[in-house]
Amino acid sequence: MKLSSREIQDLVVLEPKGKIMGGPDASLLHDQLHEYIKQGKKKVIIDLSKVDWMNSTGLGILISALTTLKKNQGELKLANVTDKIQSLLTITKLVTVFETYDSVDQAAGSFK
Amino acid sequence: MEKAKRENNRIIIPSSLNYLREVDEFVEQKLREEGVSPSLVTDIAISVTEVVTNAVCHGNKNDCGKKVTVSLEINKKQVAVRITDQGPGFDPGHLANPLAEENLLKDAGRGIFIVRSLMDEVKFEIAPDSGTTVILIKKL
Repeated sequence: MKLSSREIQDLVVLEPKGKIMGGPDASLLHDQLHEYIKQGKKKVIIDLSKVDWMNSTGLGILISALTTLKKNQGELKLANVTDKIQSLLTITKLVTVFETYDSVDQAAGSFK
Repeated sequence: MEKAKRENNRIIIPSSLNYLREVDEFVEQKLREEGVSPSLVTDIAISVTEVVTNAVCHGNKNDCGKKVTVSLEINKKQVAVRITDQGPGFDPGHLANPLAEENLLKDAGRGIFIVRSLMDEVKFEIAPDSGTTVILIKKL
């Protein structure tokens, strides 16, 4: 997995690319998120448009990001969830846990 | 780093998640060569990575001296993948329910559940002295 990020005003957009399956790059997103939290940037969108697929380790990475942000009074939204990831979120009931949006713009507009 | 061993439709890796990507690439390539549809390739690949992760971390306790073997049998009707570790085994009937409210925000514990959702059959052969084999079957 490769990870890039960009900022839109006070929002951070994280853009993982490839397959999120665990292994050596499992901590990339976690480490980047902690850097942003240290900088006081706690409104985060994860844009999943370039993620081919993820397994349960990938879902765990998203959950860890969500709980980390919540503990730090932050918010996490998911954007551009592919059909395969949406089906995994559904079968694992994680659709009840994450807010998902069809685009980064829509996700950005939803922050309080 | 020790190399993974590839033999026809089989790949054998030391027990490290550093080899996960290589296993995925091996499996996906074999499936594509046999004309398996992209959607099924994804479902099988996700499932294989789940089981290999469990074999490495839980079965073989990340001991690189122990091996995980992944072998594929592909015919016109189905794909069968066998993943074998050298661990003591586990009880697949006694796994925590990842859908339970108290488990929803846990960052682990969904692997077998997802595999059972994506595959048509999942079988376990557990022999404490000779490891655990998980067999994944997906009908084509």
